Amino acid sequence: MNGRLRDHGSTLLVASLASGFGVLLLQVTGILGAVVLADDTTGSSATVKTMLDVVALVFVAIAVYVAAVTTANTVATIVAGRTRVIALLRLIGSSARTQRATIAREGLVVGLVGAVLGALVGTAAAWGIGAVGVATEQIPAFEYSYWTPVLLVPMVAVVLTTWLSAWTGSRRVLAVRPAEALGSSGEQSAEELGRRTGRTATGVTLIVLGVLALAGGVLVGLVHPAGVLVGVVGGILSFTGVVLVADRIMPAVLRAVGRWFGTTPPARLAAENAVRNPERSTRMTIGLVIGVTLVTMFAVTMETYRDAMYAVMEGQENVEAMLGPVIDGTVAVFSVLVGFSALIAAVGLVNTLSVSVLQRTREIGLLRALGFDRRQVRVMILAEAAALTVAATLTGLVLGFVYGWAGAQAMLGSMTGEPALLAPAVPWVVLAIIVVAAAALTALASLAPARRAGRVSPVVALAVE
Amino acid sequence: MQITPSDLGLIARAVGLTKRYGSAANPVTALDDVSLGLRRGEFTAIMGPSGSGKSTLMHLLAGLDQATSGQVWLGDTDITELPDAALTVLRRRRIGFVFQSFNLVPTLDVEANILLPFELDGRKPSGIERAWIDELVDALGLRARLRHRPHELSGGQQQRVAIARALATKPDLLFADEPTGNLDSRTGREVLALLADAAKTHGQSIAMVTHDPVAASFADRILYLSDGRIVRDSVRSTPEEISSYMLAMEAAA
Ligand SMILES: Nc1ncnc2c1ncn2[C@@H]1O[C@H](COP(=O)(O)OP(=O)(O)OP(=O)(O)O)[C@@H](O)[C@H]1O
Ligand SMILES: [Mg+2]
Repeated sequence: MNGRLRDHGSTLLVASLASGFGVLLLQVTGILGAVVLADDTTGSSATVKTMLDVVALVFVAIAVYVAAVTTANTVATIVAGRTRVIALLRLIGSSARTQRATIAREGLVVGLVGAVLGALVGTAAAWGIGAVGVATEQIPAFEYSYWTPVLLVPMVAVVLTTWLSAWTGSRRVLAVRPAEALGSSGEQSAEELGRRTGRTATGVTLIVLGVLALAGGVLVGLVHPAGVLVGVVGGILSFTGVVLVADRIMPAVLRAVGRWFGTTPPARLAAENAVRNPERSTRMTIGLVIGVTLVTMFAVTMETYRDAMYAVMEGQENVEAMLGPVIDGTVAVFSVLVGFSALIAAVGLVNTLSVSVLQRTREIGLLRALGFDRRQVRVMILAEAAALTVAATLTGLVLGFVYGWAGAQAMLGSMTGEPALLAPAVPWVVLAIIVVAAAALTALASLAPARRAGRVSPVVALAVE
Repeated sequence: MQITPSDLGLIARAVGLTKRYGSAANPVTALDDVSLGLRRGEFTAIMGPSGSGKSTLMHLLAGLDQATSGQVWLGDTDITELPDAALTVLRRRRIGFVFQSFNLVPTLDVEANILLPFELDGRKPSGIERAWIDELVDALGLRARLRHRPHELSGGQQQRVAIARALATKPDLLFADEPTGNLDSRTGREVLALLADAAKTHGQSIAMVTHDPVAASFADRILYLSDGRIVRDSVRSTPEEISSYMLAMEAAA
């Protein structure tokens, strides 16, 4: 039982992070509302407060979604590791449904604990921020109860999605045959691909529609800034489509990235390992893709906007001094808010890689017996982590650039009065931060598993458990 | 002048080999002062009841584990104190392994599994080696399977791939730990015949751990282990002779 709960450590962290982030964001919004209310002269603060809440909830939704994908993946990985035990229990008569319900129930408990834990930490952090703000006289003293019903939204969402993700992630339990307790199951055959065609069809439809809308937005944007609204619809549709067909895209990207690493045995095995379970690799990377796409998109749009403004207002004094900090600030705030989802995805990636390396102890022992030296084993794990983060980052950058440019073009194409094409501007600072973060994530994700893998003795390959 | 193991026609030699597991207060002696020599070109079986120390002996002879005391040579190389990196290269170039199960890298196809030892050595097989691998692939009936992944093969086919890989580099010594343990008796006999043939026709030295009298009957020489000691060293025997000796050994215990 102890082992079972330890399995869920990473899920608990993910649930707490999502709930904590959501509650913190809403509490800070609440404080801002209270501050505005304190010197309300126009009576419009209620509207402002509602708008802030809506914006906050969008970010919360992104975080909760990424957390859900991450949790489903973590649970699926745990289930893969428990296959023998599950099969044994099936062999002695336990039904697959019972087994799956147990895992879902574990998810519910973890979700509940995570939601409450996150809410407490998030509220404490918001209180701290408010207190510091008042103490440093950034904001006036305010009246705020630290409780609004809207706080329940992220908490309930976290509980429900964790529960649901545990249920989804444990789907493989149904496929475990009792015989697997007996067989020396070295490797599962690739997961069934058939059932996913429906999802792919929906995804492709959404992408086609979305790209059409995106193109329409760009065209309309040549004559009127309202084109951006059409573009946003296209962006949401097509990106949802991309997420739906990610299980077809990511393995291909991973394969291509894996080829860059060369043909030495560690590099080749790492490339294979990164796609040996396409479903798992997709879920490991998609959260990062979402985060990188959104951050890049926003930064590209804002950077293009900055270039356009400077170009239009050329010669006017102060425009850089006035506009610059506003744009920088907006990009920074947005990046932090979206970057949090990427952090949640990163937790999942670190954990999944670590667990999947543990599950491969025997295979690593075999490689050691056959003549892989310790360094080659470590390089193999490092390259696998690198393939995952590089593939996710690259995909996100490409998508982000396309969306960011389309958005800026749709918004600003008619700015000068006549239709104009804009060159996408490159947000170098944000790019550099993304690359550094990806490198850090690779190192973090592979450090412990690589060290552990390097210590695996070749004797374990010979042991029959 | 010192007489080297290879002067004696030995491919591997152990002197006073002892391996203890567990704490000093409560030690388990898996191997107790074992000395032996494996002859070049010979198919040697290491027999003994469960827990007698067969696997432990093989791990030490193959440089997979450190002995508590004693010395091991592979050819003329004293491997007792070799550092991990040197042992790794030794395993790559001079030793072949066939295990009971989980022999193959699941993400590589049959051909890549067979060629893995060469790749680890950072080289392509030479023309002669290529021809030898082709010969092995045909002899083991793997030609049609080269593009398959291990999970698409039966247990017997997987073992044959493992044998092809182990023989491909013409290692000084091939170790097999219960290579037929997971196979039905007919498939098992086929695999054993392949090993025996490699020794007979190609002079391949083989050390095979088993507790199956039928498997041991394929060997040129049989070493019997009991409680971590070698209790008998016999020439080729029939399965009946081997089982009756094993039964006598168990009765004495
Ligand atoms: N890692 C270990 N830690 C503690 N004791 C061990 C370890 N490995 C082996 N032993 C003990 O050493 C003894 C010899 O084990 P070994 O695996 O060599 O036996 P074996 O002859 O191969 O048996 P089997 O036929 O069951 O494979 C046994 O008593 C075993 O319990
Ligand atoms: Mg054994």
